[in-house]
Amino acid sequence: MQAVLTPIGLGILFGWALHKAGLTQYARIVNVYRLRDLTVIRFMLTALVVGAVAIQCGVDLGLATAALPVPPTSLVANVVGGAVFGVGMASAGYCPGTIVAEAGEGRLDALFAGFAGLIAGALLFGLVEPFIMPALTRVGGLGRVTFADLVGAKPWLALLVFAELVSLLLFVTRRAGGECEQGSPMARP
Amino acid sequence: MLGLVVAVSQVRYARPIAVAGAFDKLAAYLGRWLFPGSQYYAHIMQPGIVWPVWVVLGIFIGAYASAKLSGSANKRWLPETQWQARFGATRMPRLVIAFLGAALVQFGAGIAGGCTSGLAISGGALLAPAAFLFMLGMFAAGIPTAWLWYRKERS
Repeated sequence: MQAVLTPIGLGILFGWALHKAGLTQYARIVNVYRLRDLTVIRFMLTALVVGAVAIQCGVDLGLATAALPVPPTSLVANVVGGAVFGVGMASAGYCPGTIVAEAGEGRLDALFAGFAGLIAGALLFGLVEPFIMPALTRVGGLGRVTFADLVGAKPWLALLVFAELVSLLLFVTRRAGGECEQGSPMARP
Repeated sequence: MLGLVVAVSQVRYARPIAVAGAFDKLAAYLGRWLFPGSQYYAHIMQPGIVWPVWVVLGIFIGAYASAKLSGSANKRWLPETQWQARFGATRMPRLVIAFLGAALVQFGAGIAGGCTSGLAISGGALLAPAAFLFMLGMFAAGIPTAWLWYRKERS
């Protein structure tokens, strides 16, 4: 039961946050790619820093139950996959998580066309995986590493550098909020 | 909030929030039946109602609950005004682009090893290079794509 209720609970919080952040709106997503409204980017970068600090605290406090699920880095596959992903996302205003959240909100295009598209994309990938993945992963495979592993630094040092870079980015983009943000008191610092 | 959910999921349960992964697992039921000889579905991607599938169910419920409480949980076929200003208020263009866009993001996630939530946010919070390479590809391709869709409006 725990193995079902825990992921459902995490999903509920995640879906709730996606909706509250406005990530289920087509315009919010697409206007990032049009460089009109960087709110989503600023929100995501903040989430990354909060997440990274919380993860490192959790690990240091001994709360981890197993090795962290570090995704494998493969230079070509990560970039090429991201590019295909970006074309789809900038066209439909979708990513897999927001399709599910939009369907929950009552968006029937997401529930029918979106879900069907995800399944079709997964099947297409399953079909061509043996032909494309060996070529895409032939070079640049680094395994399950983090930046700290790569340069042999302490995780906290990598985190500090990352937090500084994000702060800088947030500062530089502080006026790029876009029209949606005007009602918010945080909009014009 | 997103960051904290990802942190708890990864530290306590050693799992990313992998939405694309859930759809891979669900599609595998169909894939096994359609391509019985496939080594991919026989060994690499086996079907199952597993952890990420339950997370997806939760996301659906969570977004519904949040939308319901803010009074925006009504059934509709089209996104808000910007879409309708660009593509019109008919259903068909939306359904076609929604289907193709969703197929592309899922296919791209398959190549890259994760989606926005599973790779960019979950992996990014672990400071894994994979996540940042993925985001680089996303913007390198997404910015010209958005420009192509909207270039008429600008000129």
